[in-house]
Amino acid sequence: MAGTLLEIQGMKRYYEMVSGTVKALDGVDISISEGERIILLGPSGSGKTTLLNCVAALDSPTAGDYSFEGAAVPRDAPEQMTTFRRDNIGYVFQFFNLLQDLTVLENILLIQELSGGRDEKRARELLALVGLEAEVDRFPTEISGGQQQRVAIARSLAKSPKLLLGDELTGNLDSKTSAMVMEVLVKACEAEGITTIFVTHDESLTQYATRVIRLDSGKILSDENV
Amino acid sequence: MKLLLTKRLARSLWRTKLRLLAVVLIILVGVMAGIAFGHYAHTATTMYDDIYADSDDGTNLADVWVENPRTIWSSSEASTLCEEISAQWPESELVMMECEPRLVVDGLLFHTDEDGVERLVPAIWHGIDEGYVDRIWMPEHDCCDGRLAQAANEIVLDAHAVEGLGVEIGDEVSIGAGQGGMNFTIVGFGYHAHHLYFAAPGTIVPAESGAFATGYLTAEGLEALANLTAGSANVLLIDIVGSPDYDLLSTDEDEGELLTPVVASLTEIATGVDQAAIVYDRSGIASVEFLRADAEGAMKSYPVITGMLVIVAGITIFLSLQRLIQSQAREIAILRTLGIPRSAIMPSYVIAPLGIGLIGSFFGALLGIFLGAPWMEAMYEELIGIPVLSGAVATSSLLEILSITMLLVLISGIRPAWQAANLDPLVVMRGEHEVKLSSRAIQRMTARLPTTVGLTVRSSTRKPIRLAFTFFAVGLSMLILGSMLFMMDSMEDLMIGNVEENANWDSQAIVFPGTEGNIVDWADENSVDYELLLTFPANLVDDPRQLTVFGLEEFATSGEGAMQILNLAEGRLPVADSPTPEVLIDNGIQHFLDWQVGQTQTVLFGSQAVEVKIVGITEGEVSRTMYFHRSDLAAEVGIEATSVLLTIPDGVDSDELSQMSIGIIEKQGMIDSMNSLMEKQQGFFVAIQMLGVIIAFVVLFNTLIMNLAERDSELATLRVLGAPLKRIGSMMLGEHFAIGLIGGVLGAIFSILGTKWLMSQMVQWAFYFEVSADLVISAGLAGIVLFISVALTPLGMWRVRQMDLVEKVKEFSN
Repeated sequence: MAGTLLEIQGMKRYYEMVSGTVKALDGVDISISEGERIILLGPSGSGKTTLLNCVAALDSPTAGDYSFEGAAVPRDAPEQMTTFRRDNIGYVFQFFNLLQDLTVLENILLIQELSGGRDEKRARELLALVGLEAEVDRFPTEISGGQQQRVAIARSLAKSPKLLLGDELTGNLDSKTSAMVMEVLVKACEAEGITTIFVTHDESLTQYATRVIRLDSGKILSDENV
Repeated sequence: MKLLLTKRLARSLWRTKLRLLAVVLIILVGVMAGIAFGHYAHTATTMYDDIYADSDDGTNLADVWVENPRTIWSSSEASTLCEEISAQWPESELVMMECEPRLVVDGLLFHTDEDGVERLVPAIWHGIDEGYVDRIWMPEHDCCDGRLAQAANEIVLDAHAVEGLGVEIGDEVSIGAGQGGMNFTIVGFGYHAHHLYFAAPGTIVPAESGAFATGYLTAEGLEALANLTAGSANVLLIDIVGSPDYDLLSTDEDEGELLTPVVASLTEIATGVDQAAIVYDRSGIASVEFLRADAEGAMKSYPVITGMLVIVAGITIFLSLQRLIQSQAREIAILRTLGIPRSAIMPSYVIAPLGIGLIGSFFGALLGIFLGAPWMEAMYEELIGIPVLSGAVATSSLLEILSITMLLVLISGIRPAWQAANLDPLVVMRGEHEVKLSSRAIQRMTARLPTTVGLTVRSSTRKPIRLAFTFFAVGLSMLILGSMLFMMDSMEDLMIGNVEENANWDSQAIVFPGTEGNIVDWADENSVDYELLLTFPANLVDDPRQLTVFGLEEFATSGEGAMQILNLAEGRLPVADSPTPEVLIDNGIQHFLDWQVGQTQTVLFGSQAVEVKIVGITEGEVSRTMYFHRSDLAAEVGIEATSVLLTIPDGVDSDELSQMSIGIIEKQGMIDSMNSLMEKQQGFFVAIQMLGVIIAFVVLFNTLIMNLAERDSELATLRVLGAPLKRIGSMMLGEHFAIGLIGGVLGAIFSILGTKWLMSQMVQWAFYFEVSADLVISAGLAGIVLFISVALTPLGMWRVRQMDLVEKVKEFSN
């Protein structure tokens, strides 16, 4: 039986705006076990990206508890939050955000170096895992969008995160490429034993999930295992 | 619509307040400096023109001088010479108006200060009887008071010396001219055309107040002082109708087309009467030439300095606008997609730099008029020692500077504006415009480096044009700073170091030719080491330029072998009594006349042509100098010595020297004067240096901030992925260090080459010196740029720390 990776209780994230208080998250309770593949679904403004940001320790919740592997996740402390991300979190962006001036391989090596350990062999293995072993010396501009996203996935796996997050990671890809990327992602995460949470609008991606959580107005509407 | 688009751009600019401020600041500094330097140049020119003008307020500077450097003409000799000149005046458009004999002698002022300490002040006394030419200048100003000398016991003292001597009108002063002392009553303070730049003979360093004096007596008074008969004279002042142009030493052109033949004819006439007579135009008067050269140099240099500053401002505007357009590319693409025409996009990007330029120019003009110009005016008064009477900033100069600034600002905005108007919406929407990679060569070169280091190098070189412009702008700012440092260092070496290290004498006693025996006897009696020195002016053949010829007793290039040590740059020392006299020339003569070692050349002593063999080149002389063996020179000019160099041991009282000489120059006094000059200029030099540093800072600030802004998404990605600030800081530090180091080294090289080029444009016959590239200064320049660059890292880190990662992630996902 897999252990609990993260535990969220009563998480709130309010923003004070000129027009009043916006409740982006309004009391969210989630418990996620190791190895789960979770898809967060919901309309725009439902709070799914805010939840992802809080889980990634990019943002600090206004209230509520959040523990990761049984330890409280730092909040309102930028460097401690950075350390938490570095040690635990992988992140895949919609627009890939590869460094254009580095080759495919170098993009992965850079993250390793910044995390404290360069390991070219593992970098190459990860690229092989996402099917890009032939593209290691090419620059991001020289490969397709789907390939770029696969590099981004390999990059996010490079430091062996416990949790991989993605915000609309296929939003910039066509359906065929989306499917290919998701298959690669699932394969890679299973191989590495990584838990994943993805935010999307795309209902078709639920086929790659083990659990689907639907949000609206900052609250959980449903939480179902698939 | 255009108004709305311009408003939109103004708001976007306002969002980059720091960069906007930097650009405005550079324009402000450029305009302010331009106005300040321009005001100095116009003041120097106006003062020169007004003071020497042939008008009631001017001094009516003579046009030609006929001088007897060897002896004094009697009244009849002087009159005869004037008559001969008048009678034989050459066929020319130029008409002689006046020939006025004058007596000018070196002397001493015996001064007792407030503490009762007696001091000998070297002096020059002029005998002026209601002169028509070369009048005393007594402007209506606090500097000057009283009236001209009318009685034989009255004197007008030069206003430069008043403060140092602490004298007032009505005081008595004791003065001498080799014949003991006499008392004169001070009846006025004023200036004389030949001493507006108040330097003692033989030096270009202005004397400290009270360290040198000049006085204007009646002719009768001076004759009595010098024990000469009535009407004695040693100079004839020739005034020509109007003010004919004379051949400028600083140009290759023949400005004195009309005057030069007249000077040649007068030389023939004068030397026909007295072989030793020398004739020269205004270029032969050191003070006049210095003021002209100062005005000319300032007129030449202020557009260059202003231009450099405005070019830096233009580069900064150009780079900032390019960055702005890059960051606004999507907006522009959307506008274009919505059907806004190119012609509507472009104007706002042209108006923006003009607006920035206007703001910078407005505040720069205010500061220039109310701060810079008065400050430069005060510096002119401090340096030259005469009051500035027309203090207003010239409208023409103001308009010129503002026009140049606005023109360059406009030019710098045109290309970015054109780029903005011609952005391809499709390319922008595909994000292709954002992809800017370092060159393949750089990528290959850095492939084997750690990725963080490789990324640092690649990021730094991603925009080579921007980097090149930045280095160029930093180079210009380093040129402003470096030229001052190199010049100060070279001047200090040349003026102070040369005297301190090369003069093995304590005092130089100036004598009437033939009376040096008294000093020699005194020196022998007191066991004082001495050397006779013969100084004589010489002319070139078919060339109005003069040089000073020194006859040295001993030659040495180091140690104690001679009273005056020479810096021999090339060749060997001359041997006395050679069939053709052997001489050394200074490197200025070599530079201007292309005379070389081994050549035989001809110089003129009055009308006497003498062939000399050049055996060596010396360096370190500001004015043009030739060195003979004294015996060789004496044989040519017929006098043995004009002064005696003395090394006075402790305990020997040298007061008696004042009775035997007509003037005494103290080595320490020269050094003090030079130190004082350097101190006076210190404020000016430091201000210019600060200008250079500020500009370098602003330029680097602008570029590095733009580099960072462009890499926002890169840095944010790394932060989201968990890159610690420390590592990002290291990368940034590495990038800034590399840019600072390369920029610093290039800046130092640019500064050395630029200063040498600038100096090559500024030097002229009367003032020549070479700038040496001191290693410590060069390293200092590179260090300053490196420091500024590295010091901006914390600012970059602050920026990264302030990044809102949540917002950035939103950008990455929308």
